[in-house]
Formats: sequence, C-alpha cells, structure tokens
Amino acid sequence: MSIGIDSDAAGGIHPGPDPGEAVATWSPYVVRAGEPFDALYAQLQPDIERLIAEYEQKRSALIPLAQLFQDHEGYVSADAVVAIAYLVGESAAAVESTISFYTLLYRRPVGKYMIQFCRNLPCMLNGADDLMAYARGRLGIGHLETTGDGLFSYEEVECLAACDRAPCAQVNLEFVYDLTPERVDALLAELRDGRSAIDPLPQTRKPGRTWKVEQDTGLKSPGAMGVSSPNNAGGIGDASGRAMFDLIVGRPQYEQRSDERLLRETTLRVEPSENGH
Amino acid sequence: MADVVVPVLTAGIGVRNLRDIDVYRADGGYEQLRRAVLELTPKEVADICSGSNLRGRGGAGFPTGRKWSFLPNNGRPRYMVCNCDEAEPGTFKDHMLLEETPHQIIEGILLGAYAIGCDHAFIYIRGEFKRGYEIMRDALEQARAAGFVGENIFGSRKNIAFTIHRGAGAYICGEETGLLNSLEGRRGEPRLKPPFPAVKGLYGEPTVVNNVETLAYLPYIMRNGAEWFAKCGPARSPGYKVVSISGHVVKPGNYEVAMGTTIRQLIWDCAGGLRPGRSFRGVQPGGGSSACLFEEHLDVPYDFDSVTKAGSMLGSGAMVVFDDTTDFVKAAYTLIRFFSHESCGQCTPCREGGHWIQRTLERLLAGGGLDSDVDVIKSAAHQLTGLNLCALGDSIEPFLASVISRYEDQFRAYVPRPTAVAS
Repeated sequence: MSIGIDSDAAGGIHPGPDPGEAVATWSPYVVRAGEPFDALYAQLQPDIERLIAEYEQKRSALIPLAQLFQDHEGYVSADAVVAIAYLVGESAAAVESTISFYTLLYRRPVGKYMIQFCRNLPCMLNGADDLMAYARGRLGIGHLETTGDGLFSYEEVECLAACDRAPCAQVNLEFVYDLTPERVDALLAELRDGRSAIDPLPQTRKPGRTWKVEQDTGLKSPGAMGVSSPNNAGGIGDASGRAMFDLIVGRPQYEQRSDERLLRETTLRVEPSENGH
Repeated sequence: MADVVVPVLTAGIGVRNLRDIDVYRADGGYEQLRRAVLELTPKEVADICSGSNLRGRGGAGFPTGRKWSFLPNNGRPRYMVCNCDEAEPGTFKDHMLLEETPHQIIEGILLGAYAIGCDHAFIYIRGEFKRGYEIMRDALEQARAAGFVGENIFGSRKNIAFTIHRGAGAYICGEETGLLNSLEGRRGEPRLKPPFPAVKGLYGEPTVVNNVETLAYLPYIMRNGAEWFAKCGPARSPGYKVVSISGHVVKPGNYEVAMGTTIRQLIWDCAGGLRPGRSFRGVQPGGGSSACLFEEHLDVPYDFDSVTKAGSMLGSGAMVVFDDTTDFVKAAYTLIRFFSHESCGQCTPCREGGHWIQRTLERLLAGGGLDSDVDVIKSAAHQLTGLNLCALGDSIEPFLASVISRYEDQFRAYVPRPTAVAS
C-alpha cells in the first residue's frame, strides 16, 4: 500500500525515502568498513571540495552535491542526504526540503534509462499526445513508472526547449528530436540492446514501481510541486503527517494506527456539547 | 526572406564551430572584453549599454542599463548572474545559443560583470541542458586557459571569478528571485519584492540578473557602437531579437530579426508559413504566458511596446502558431496544466487557482462539463491575477481569456447536450 501523500497532476511530490531503504547511518567521524557509500564518499572527496570552493557560501553547493551523488548512485540516498547536510552545514531536513523541490533530483531509485517526453504546447500541437500513448503502450508502463526489469523509467515533462524539433524527449537528459512511432521503436530497441550512444544511469539499488508517489484522486487540492496539500493541516492523522511519521520511524505499519486515530478524533469532534447544541 | 533575417548572435551558427575559442576569436571574439578591461572604465561600458537602449530579452523587457544603475554604491560585494534557465513553453533560443556559441555568452557576462564592478559572475543553466552545460564548461576552460576569466584578466589586475551552476528542474527558477534562492541551495521560491535583487540579491548583496540573450548582445553593441543598436527598429525598444517560432509552421526554428519586423513577416517570410491547405487561427507572440493574437494582429510590429499595445506581450520572444486543426480547449488545458505543475505553491491564488482551473478543463475535456464551466474558468482566471508574489500566477489568465473570447464555441462544444427524451 502506498503512502497517500497528495501529489499534483504530474506527481511532482517528494515521497521521502523508500520504506525498504536503510535508515542513514553515515557519519563523518567513522569510516564504515566495506560500505559502498563510504568508499564513494572518499572517492568523490576532490569533487566535493571543488564544488564547495566555487561559492562564497557553502549552502550554494547543496544542489551540485546532490547531483554529484545522484550521478554515482542513481538517486540521492539517505546516506547522501546526511553527508550533504554535514558538508554544507545544514540539517538533513533542510537538505530534504531543497531536494524535494526539484524534479530532476530523485530520492528513490529509477530505471537505467529515464525517458522524459515533452507534453507541452508546441509538442502537443505536433502530436505528442498520440506519441506518448504509443510509447506508454510499448513500454507497458505509465507516467512516473519504472519497468519491472528496472531498465526504463517513463515521465511526461514540461517544455524541454526544443520546440523547433517537436515532438521531442530526453533520455538520461540527452535530447532525441523529431520523434515518430518508428523512431520511438528504434530508440527503445537501441537502448535495450545497448547499441545506443546514451550511457545508462548507475543503479545501486533495484527501483520500485515508481520513484514518485501516485496521484491522489480525492477532492483535495494537491498543493504545488513538493508542497503537501494545504487542506492537510499536518500532524498524525493526515496523509503528510503519516508520511512524516513513516519517515521518522521508517516503518509503514503505523499507517494503520494513524487511520484509527483519525477516525476516533473525527467522532469526538461531532459529539454534541454539554448544553445540548 | 533573407532580407528579414539579420544574423548577429546567430551569425556563423551551423557554418563555423564557434565552440572553439580560436574560431570565435578569429571573428573578433574577446576583443571587446580586452578593450573594456584595458581601455575603458566600468562606467563607460555601462554608458554604452544604456545608450544602446537594450531591453532585457528574458521576458520582462526591462532596460538593462537602468537595471544596472539601481545597484547601490555601498561598497558591498556585487554579483552578476546570467539567467539560462530557459523553460517558457515555445522558447528555445537560449538552448541554441548555449550549445552553439558559448564564448559569446561568456564574453557578454564578463562585460556585464566589469560594467557593474563585480568580481564573481554566475551562469545558472537549466538542469535539462546537460549537453549545454558540458559545452559551457569546456568553453570556460578554454577561456580560463587563455587568461580571459579568473585572476588578472588580460594582465589588468582585474579578477572576475566565474561559476557555472546547474539547476535541477523547476520552471520557477527562471524568475530572478527564485533563481537566486536556488543558487543559494534553497527551494526555488520567489522572494517578496522589494527589495529587488539590485539592492538585496544573492547572499543579501546587490545582484544583477540578466538573460543570456541580453548579455550576448553586449560584445556586438561594444563593437558596433550604441548607435548601431539604438538606431535599429523602434526607438523605445530597439535592436535585434532572436525569435523562436514553433507550432503549425513549415520551418520552425530560431530567426534573428530587427525589432519591429511584423508578425506576418516572421511567420511567412521566416518560418515558411502554414502547412499546405491550412488556415491561420492564432499566434502566441511571447511564450506560454502571453495572450493569443489573431488575424487582425498579423501586421503588428514585433517589438515590446507594439505587442503590448495589441493586448499581449513579447515576453521571451517565442511564437507558437496555431492553424485550423487546433483544439484551443486542449491547448489552453496544456498550458494551464503546465502553470499548475510549475507553481511553487507559496501563493494561494496561483497554487489553488491554477489547479482548479486545470481540473475544470479536465472535466470539460472528458465530456462531463457543465454549461457554467466556461464562465467559472474565465472568472477564476481573472480573480487570481495580480495577487501573487511573481508573474507565474498572473500568466494563467492571458492565453485562456484570449482564446475563450475568440473561440468560446469550441469550449461550449465540449459541454454535453441533454438528449431529448422520447415521448
């Protein structure tokens, strides 16, 4: 069962860490022997120092550091969040807050090829709707989903600034232009056979069905990108509160308990007051 | 056609490899930077820019020289930030300039940085432009090795550091204060203005944010003189402009023209007109945020003031052309979905308004619309305008209102008609 955080139409919501993911145990003071992340951290040390030195204030390096770790791990892992927080001198919550705003930073593993079709106006005028339906059919997955073998992730994104060669898409941020159903087939075949010039993304963990949280179809406003619903006041009992709870505790079974509590509280609120009104 | 297109920034693209610093220098590249740093004072460079009457090419069209003049003389560090977070639907000029002529951009940024007296310049490149980022990084290495960037530029003892910053996917980071927040490692949420970035920008210090195209014109204005630019086109919005034309045209692409070229010339002489057998239904003259213009506006000169007078805006210079196959309800829905998706969520009118208009249109398109929906959409879009921190929320209304006023029948046609009950 997925966590019911509200998401906007494109699902641009920060889902928090994967329930299956280990809680961050990275520490700047202890080197954990045999841990891949610690080896990666040591390996990236020169890049990290170079990035931080680029700016007058360390926090400016937050997004570049997240990109650096994602380039090597395929997503921004829990350890990476803690490491970035240490490096820029902010809390892990501040790092999560920033990362959650940006659609190109993934907090959960994605496929080896991230295929992003443009769905905005100039592409739509040139038949992007049909083309995307075709691509979804060929891949057997929908918007914001990853194939079972972990090879492809599919997303419909906003204007990619290549409207003269619409419809267009990006695969691992490399542009592919002037798409037709035949070209989509050829592209997918090339990627499957490893004949493509486009490098696969690193994949240190097996991706789940989606790296975002699916859309809430209830009659609630979704909030905008990365902002939980304004109709959810927060706290235990609503969706974002439950997600926060899971994030802290790292166990999905608390969902059940908070649902019960929500029910109880709702009942309490509608009881008549003492003077009979 | 050839006499409408005037290549300035686009000269040599597709002919010479302008990513190579030697090729760019053979065209006179970095000469103006050398001249500025060694022979001119920062004020003289700023005066040339003011004299050219160059207006910002990123969307708002604010005079660049005036923007620079707002910087306070308080002895604080200053920053120059070049905005290459191009994401306005229909705009692809910065994408091309970044990938084809990175040195021109670097020279423009450094000229601007020198003019405002700053010693650290940034370029914020959209996260999706991975290739463009790599090209810019290589170009910067070449310029650094040649001694044009960094310490002691041209032996003048003047230092200008240069940082390339990559975004991570958010349209709103093209808004200048959102961009600055993003550059500081925060969520890209626009800030309350005033104070404007010129007073309190990056790290709380005076900052100028200019578009790629704006800055790229500086070397040419320096080379040919302010008069050359100011004399071209209408006096109040002079110069040249790279126009991105897309949609239902034969030859979509970037065309650089003099300001004041008519919309008709742009569509037919540059972009080859509509596809055979099709007729014209409308054009968005300035990207997704601009109102649609129709047949009667085809002879409007393409410059900031004339397009505004016609009821739309020039914006970032992106023309999206619609022919008679266009479903304007779907077109409006596509743009509203975009604004709803890209809203940062700070301001209630934008966050809620965009979302509910999107859902109402979704229902209409799905065949479940009500007769009142069209009026509700119109009224909601109107009411949320002007109540937001930045221009994103205000961008919801123009296109929607303009196509409803012209093609209301297309919207009404989606409302299911009650079927007659057989007696």
